[in-house]
Amino acid sequence: MKMKSVIGGLALAGFLALGPAMAGEGVLKIGRDQDSVFMDPILVSQNADVWVMNNINAQLVRNTREATGIEPDLAESWRISDDGKTYTFSLREGLTFSDGSPLKASDVKFSLERLRDGEESVFGSMFGVITDIQVPDDRTVVIELSEATTPFLSFLALFAAAILPEAAVTGDYDAFSQKPIGAGAFRLVDWRRGDRIILEENEHYWEADLPKLAGVEWIYVPNDNTRVLQLQAGEVDAMIFVPFNRIAELDSDPDINVHLDPSSRMDHVLINHSHEPFDDVRVRKALAKAIDLDSIIEAVTFGYGTPANSYIPAGGMFYNADNPSYEHNLEEAKALLAEAGVEDLTIEFVVQAGDANYEQVAVLLQSQLAEAGITVNITKQETGQVWDTIVEGDYDLSPNYWTNDVIDPDQKTGFVLDGSDEDVLSYYTRYNNPEVNALIAAARVETDEEKRKAMYYDLQRIAQEDVNWLGLYYSPFRNASRSNVGDFFQNPMGRFMLETTTKQ
Amino acid sequence: MGRFKFVLYRPLQTIPVLIGVSIITFVLVRSIPGDPVRVLLGPRAKPSIIAAVREQYGLDEPLVVQYFYFIYNLLHGEMGRSIIYRVPVLDVIAERLVPTLFLLSYALLLTVALALALAIVAARNQRRLPDHLVRMFCTAGLGLPAFWLGIVLIMVFSVGLGWFPVSGYGDGFWGHLHHLFLPALTIAVALAPVLTRNLRATLIDQMEAGYVQTARARGMSERALFYRHVLPNSLVPTVNLLGVAFSWLIGGTVVVETVFSIPGMGQLMVSSIFSRDYLLVQGVTLVFALGIILTNFIVDVVNVALDPRIDP
Repeated sequence: MKMKSVIGGLALAGFLALGPAMAGEGVLKIGRDQDSVFMDPILVSQNADVWVMNNINAQLVRNTREATGIEPDLAESWRISDDGKTYTFSLREGLTFSDGSPLKASDVKFSLERLRDGEESVFGSMFGVITDIQVPDDRTVVIELSEATTPFLSFLALFAAAILPEAAVTGDYDAFSQKPIGAGAFRLVDWRRGDRIILEENEHYWEADLPKLAGVEWIYVPNDNTRVLQLQAGEVDAMIFVPFNRIAELDSDPDINVHLDPSSRMDHVLINHSHEPFDDVRVRKALAKAIDLDSIIEAVTFGYGTPANSYIPAGGMFYNADNPSYEHNLEEAKALLAEAGVEDLTIEFVVQAGDANYEQVAVLLQSQLAEAGITVNITKQETGQVWDTIVEGDYDLSPNYWTNDVIDPDQKTGFVLDGSDEDVLSYYTRYNNPEVNALIAAARVETDEEKRKAMYYDLQRIAQEDVNWLGLYYSPFRNASRSNVGDFFQNPMGRFMLETTTKQ
Repeated sequence: MGRFKFVLYRPLQTIPVLIGVSIITFVLVRSIPGDPVRVLLGPRAKPSIIAAVREQYGLDEPLVVQYFYFIYNLLHGEMGRSIIYRVPVLDVIAERLVPTLFLLSYALLLTVALALALAIVAARNQRRLPDHLVRMFCTAGLGLPAFWLGIVLIMVFSVGLGWFPVSGYGDGFWGHLHHLFLPALTIAVALAPVLTRNLRATLIDQMEAGYVQTARARGMSERALFYRHVLPNSLVPTVNLLGVAFSWLIGGTVVVETVFSIPGMGQLMVSSIFSRDYLLVQGVTLVFALGIILTNFIVDVVNVALDPRIDP
């Protein structure tokens, strides 16, 4: 009797399953691991926000598809004065925002000044070189810089430099921030926090015949297994952040394509140079030699990573593939420690709890360094706390990663190597080499490409010799899509190139 | 009627409870290390910008002043602005409350149905095969972790048979009912064993009670006896237990919400703690406290209605 009603219930439930219709044609559903929290381009820096803003916003210029150079976006052309201080941009004809309102030079001026001056503008300092912005007419923008800044054009391709409608931002800001308007390929239609963001094609987008999709849904699916299952069941068309250990399995499914797109991601271990004995380069070198990078890469990334030999990501601008690297050598590591007079070294290793890859790195390093006679104490802290610890300098070592925001190496170099920036302290490692600091400043204003490249080759070599941090590995972005999806591609800056993505 | 007088004064008793909860939450969430603004702006924000934002949210003020603002706002029906989402806390909570309430009610319904059916079958077939099977189910149900059971249910019923969606909340009443069946079942399988065991034991106790023996001696049929006397008299302890279980669930749905990607309060609670969104944590906690108080209140009312001897 009871059994029958259970079966009846299941049959009813099965009937219910037939109810909902399939998703609309051409709407790409993407499962992702993180939820967006806010989408004002100058106030955020989290990928979950940035990657959606990339779809709805446009800048004056943008990175090329493979992020190897800069190409026109809203500006159709530009001129740089001989002294490198004056940039004159010509906007395309008839530009509008996704709400249909015209996009004028005054909106560009407003957006860039807001980016530079905003009290909470996260990337404001990058644009401090702008001294003046003139708009002689609706389609011309003239930007004056205080000094020639070679990477400036690549700064303008940053997501934070998105051109926003002045009227909407200065009007009802709360309404704008909850339903942002831009000039990108898609427009935001609905934002359900904790659930999904729904985008529709922007009919006013400047690029003819793009986007090819009718819409995009970014769906928050925090559990890795659930996200994979959703893709397998066809409930989403694509997913991002395939766990390393599921790549092979998904790749063998004929209905699913795994995309290992080259990324600018580099994993590393921060070293606190202000803690003894890590101020001694011999000790830092000993750590680098005591690490068996290959076995870490094999265990953590299932072999999908490649050893990092430079702070610049492989394939990135000015990356030197021949930069020196450290061989795994326990004897030399021990000799270096002895030479530095260090005995019974104990390391406070702070790791972000809940991050499976970092926790794995911590345990592997612990056992590898033990072979060199070094004790590693692992302290797990959760996300909200770990950054405070690093900023305050209450750690010896801590694993971390970096993905580039701009293609020019200037931004990352300044952030991670410039010890003269007292705000950031070489990404809180407290690494401070005056020679490096001077070289960074010189490279910023060098206009000759070859000379600049040589400077960055020097920077990569010195940083590696100084062991500014322990470089671990470069790893690809790991996404997957169903076979009816075409051209699902994430470029090395992390931008999903959804304009040209198709769904059958 | 006199027995129900507590309905009038009980709500007043919740005020000191809520004040206590608000103070404890306020102090606790601020005493864990970490900084909401750092989480908000990310590691690339410079300390000067962090300081500017802290000031904007009043996080640089002394704790007492911050608590005063919190209470002042609360008395005006506001909970302040979420630091991370930058919108009113009440708006964020309102969006998340409905999915959780739907899930909880659904799970409760399934739990009660499951527990009643299983306990009755077990009690009426004491020490025979059905009873053993029910006991096996109870042990298994208690032992299965929700995240595992959830994934298995998805694999069998969603990916394999295609009967249910893998995850999400769905649209419209039927959509919710359809999407939330597996998550509700996951909760029910974990919760039903406790109720089943309790109810089965009470039922068996009652079946041996003096008044039942008397009725049986008077020739009353076993079936009528069971449904008219034994079952109603066994419900009071079960309702109490159900109340406790429900209170526990109010804050405990986070695992199920995560596995099934349901945009509910459990996820909101955890993410707001991780991001140190103080005002949001305070808001969510108050809502949870209210929910638990309300549940206990309802349990009291139901108990008084079920058992004429109870006079609170």
